[in-house]
Amino acid sequence: MDNNLSILVVDDELSVRDSLSNWFIEDGYTVDTAEDAKVALKKIEAYHFHIILIDIKLPGMDGLELNRRIKTINEDTIVIIMTAFASVDSAVQALKDGAYDYVCKPFDPDAVTHIIRNASKSIQLSQENLSLQDRIKSLVNVEDIIGESEGILNVLEQVRVVAETDSTVIINGDSGTGKELIAKAIHMNSSRRFFPMVTVHCGAIAENLMESELFGHERGAFTGAQYARKGKFEMADGATLFLDEISTISMKMQIEILRVLETKKFARVGGNREFSSDFRVICATNRDLATMVKNGEFRDDLYYRLNVFSIDIPPLRERVEDIKLLSEHFVKLYADQMNKGTRHIGKRATKALQNYAFPGNVRELENLIERAIVIGSGDTVQLKDLPFQDNIEKPSWESIQDMEHHHIEDILKKYDWNISQAAKALGVDRVTLYSKIKKYKINKGS
Amino acid sequence: MPLIKIIPLQFPAVEELEKMLSIISNRFKMETSLSTRPFDMNPYFNPVRSQYNANEIIQKLVTSAAENNKIVGITELDLFIPVLRYIFGQAYLGGSAALVSGHRLHNSRYGLAEDPNLYFNRLLKCLIHELGHAFGLKHCLKLGCVMVSTTYVEEMDQKSDLFCHSCQAELTELTQ
Repeated sequence: MDNNLSILVVDDELSVRDSLSNWFIEDGYTVDTAEDAKVALKKIEAYHFHIILIDIKLPGMDGLELNRRIKTINEDTIVIIMTAFASVDSAVQALKDGAYDYVCKPFDPDAVTHIIRNASKSIQLSQENLSLQDRIKSLVNVEDIIGESEGILNVLEQVRVVAETDSTVIINGDSGTGKELIAKAIHMNSSRRFFPMVTVHCGAIAENLMESELFGHERGAFTGAQYARKGKFEMADGATLFLDEISTISMKMQIEILRVLETKKFARVGGNREFSSDFRVICATNRDLATMVKNGEFRDDLYYRLNVFSIDIPPLRERVEDIKLLSEHFVKLYADQMNKGTRHIGKRATKALQNYAFPGNVRELENLIERAIVIGSGDTVQLKDLPFQDNIEKPSWESIQDMEHHHIEDILKKYDWNISQAAKALGVDRVTLYSKIKKYKINKGS
Repeated sequence: MPLIKIIPLQFPAVEELEKMLSIISNRFKMETSLSTRPFDMNPYFNPVRSQYNANEIIQKLVTSAAENNKIVGITELDLFIPVLRYIFGQAYLGGSAALVSGHRLHNSRYGLAEDPNLYFNRLLKCLIHELGHAFGLKHCLKLGCVMVSTTYVEEMDQKSDLFCHSCQAELTELTQ
């Protein structure tokens, strides 16, 4: 029986610490001990223990005070108070301060077994609850992905097709195009949706930590590995493993990953036990892996193993028609979050956004809208709420004639259609101005 | 040659232990022997609890275990460890010694007619369970496996004296 839960036993008597830790180790728990509150607090700050058993009588800080301190560090930690005296008052006080239960020493083997099993169930339930909450928050339906351009509709069709299979998928796309969202959509529409999608941001993990992150490690595998830890391969059993920015992993790790993908078997760092894990791989990259293979920067065997099904997400500049829909979606999203009444986006603001190249893609658009909601007021996002209106509101006309037309129009408006003053400002006579007005069909109300 | 050595610690029914030797040998695929040397339990008696301290007895047994050997003490006396009211047995995971008490395994203790066969079976299960810990096996959740954790004799009667497939496989790996 292997448990993922860790227990800390805090008691000043060595025989009690030894007896209890031996008892729990036989049940498969990871156990550590502390002889007083000071040592216990140091260990609790360095490592998260799920269950802490505390003797009420400790040298220095007593068990009740230690319980209070633990609750300020992590209120979810389950604390069980042990007392040699059947003191109802102190037990009640401990429970009022958030302790889970108390036992009187010496206790029946059955009593401690039941308390720990109940506590374990309670921890598992709260972990499941958090995991479900996270999953509900991240539920992604294909229908929920915003866009009506041909590019995005193609992507969604590919998601529908591949989600039902168990094939490995590579998602290609520039930074900010929504690769993780597409990965989630594949996962949530697959048969593995009842398990979490385990994400590894390959580019954010230091090279020397990657092995332990993916494979996990046994206790004592390296300096600082005080406790055994599951890796992402193990955590993704039955689920989907999303390897983001796969192009950033080293050649050494590429060999290791290839071996696991082929056998679905691995050992933790510093261990000999072989683990099996049934996971589906989705990876994402903003670099062209095929070119990287040609340049010798990415292993061809791993590339062929991964490249079973490939999805290319077009950059936002290639699907301008989606900008309006996406902007409206983000306006509603952030207005609700910030409790503001903004519901629309103005025509000039929309046009300005559509004229912008968006090197940061959808992520940049989302940030722009969020900023606009923060600084704007009223029910509509205006051009002035966007940070770059001077740069992006470029006139659509290109010819000298167009320029002349708009300039004359502006001067006429400036002088309130006083022809003499406008002609003087333009440096032409009145007849010439009249002929230009006629030529460009400029009306007073235009 | 690795050996499992059984030491009676004020255990009167030595003939029961002789019957167990071949079963233990078969389960763990190791030679077994029965010690005849007397072992004084008096230093481990706790007058306040009227019980014997299992931790201290195990520490003594460890000092007499030869390399690669496992040593199991069997007693009829009541055992305790400081935090628990009683224990049926005790062993350190992957350690060289184990300890088992038959004191609470008798039917007569629970107001029922004594059943020597039932007592023998319980003692055997307890012995195999603690030896399993000494070889490195943890508690198991599979119904019927001898490594299931039990705190009452009723629970003990529900499990067998055999290892489940996965515990057996792990034991084979650990003993090789």
